[in-house]
Amino acid sequence: MVDLSQYLPILLFLFVALALSAAFVFLPMGVSRLTGTHNPDAEKLSEYECGFPAFEEPRSQFDVRFYLVAILFIIFDLEAAFLFPWAVSLDITGWAGWITMMVFLFELIVGFAYAWKVGALEWE
Amino acid sequence: MIQTLAFYLFAVLVIASAVMVITARNPVHSVLWLILAFFNGAGLMVLVGAEFIAMLLVIVYVGAVAVLFLFVVMMLDIDFAELRAGFVKNFPLGIAVALVLLAELVLGIGAYQAGALQLGEPSGVGAPRMGESNIESIGALLYGKYLFLFETAGIILLVAMVGAIVLTHRPPKTQRGHQNISKQNQRRPQDATVMKQPPVGQGVEL
Repeated sequence: MVDLSQYLPILLFLFVALALSAAFVFLPMGVSRLTGTHNPDAEKLSEYECGFPAFEEPRSQFDVRFYLVAILFIIFDLEAAFLFPWAVSLDITGWAGWITMMVFLFELIVGFAYAWKVGALEWE
Repeated sequence: MIQTLAFYLFAVLVIASAVMVITARNPVHSVLWLILAFFNGAGLMVLVGAEFIAMLLVIVYVGAVAVLFLFVVMMLDIDFAELRAGFVKNFPLGIAVALVLLAELVLGIGAYQAGALQLGEPSGVGAPRMGESNIESIGALLYGKYLFLFETAGIILLVAMVGAIVLTHRPPKTQRGHQNISKQNQRRPQDATVMKQPPVGQGVEL
């Protein structure tokens, strides 16, 4: 079994972050609710000077090239993730493992060269 | 004690956020709940000792796949209220798809010993570890015994990359010149400027 006690600081950090974020969200709401008068009506809740009613849906179609960037990011992200177990297990796998990873890197470099050649990441 | 507490915290949160993924009305909110589910799944993975899977969940799923989901949701111009209208009508089909997915899960877990795969013993005792830690064992298997499958995964990634580029890349409409920095740096003032001394009363002849 893995020694989980080294993760205890992360868990404590999680609780502290949870408490702090909850405090930042709910404390101002509660304080303003308790100290100010709270009787909203339609006029008070409408946009006032600093805004206007939304004309359309916030969701809008955008260029498909953002999607291409995201896909290429996933692929090279996976490549980096694969490097990690390779690096820590090199003393077990030896040269075979090293050559395996080099071939894998070469495969992705071929794809990278293709992306570069066709200008997939060029932005006008 | 703390482990049990953390397990219940993560398990409750992952189930709650998974329910919210399904029930949230706004699909963008669904994706955000899915990210929370991924984080809690990573916590559960740390608890069972699979640190590498936890790292993958955070780095690949939260960092990349969730962004891709967001892109898909934002890119599709779908009236989701209209889409939800046929809930009762499509309910049997949805149940059927869910059953198929459940059967796939059961079969996939049951196939820990299929063909060349030997992922464990029927008694539930895991295969002997090759390295000291989980990541080391994964690396020893992935780059030792299963290196051909790993290279195949690399080829699949290459095909995915080329396919994505072919499908989505459009050549730029206006062909603009590219900036050539060395050419710019090589340009000297005497090449670019001319001194003229026009006589008084006459224009400059260029």
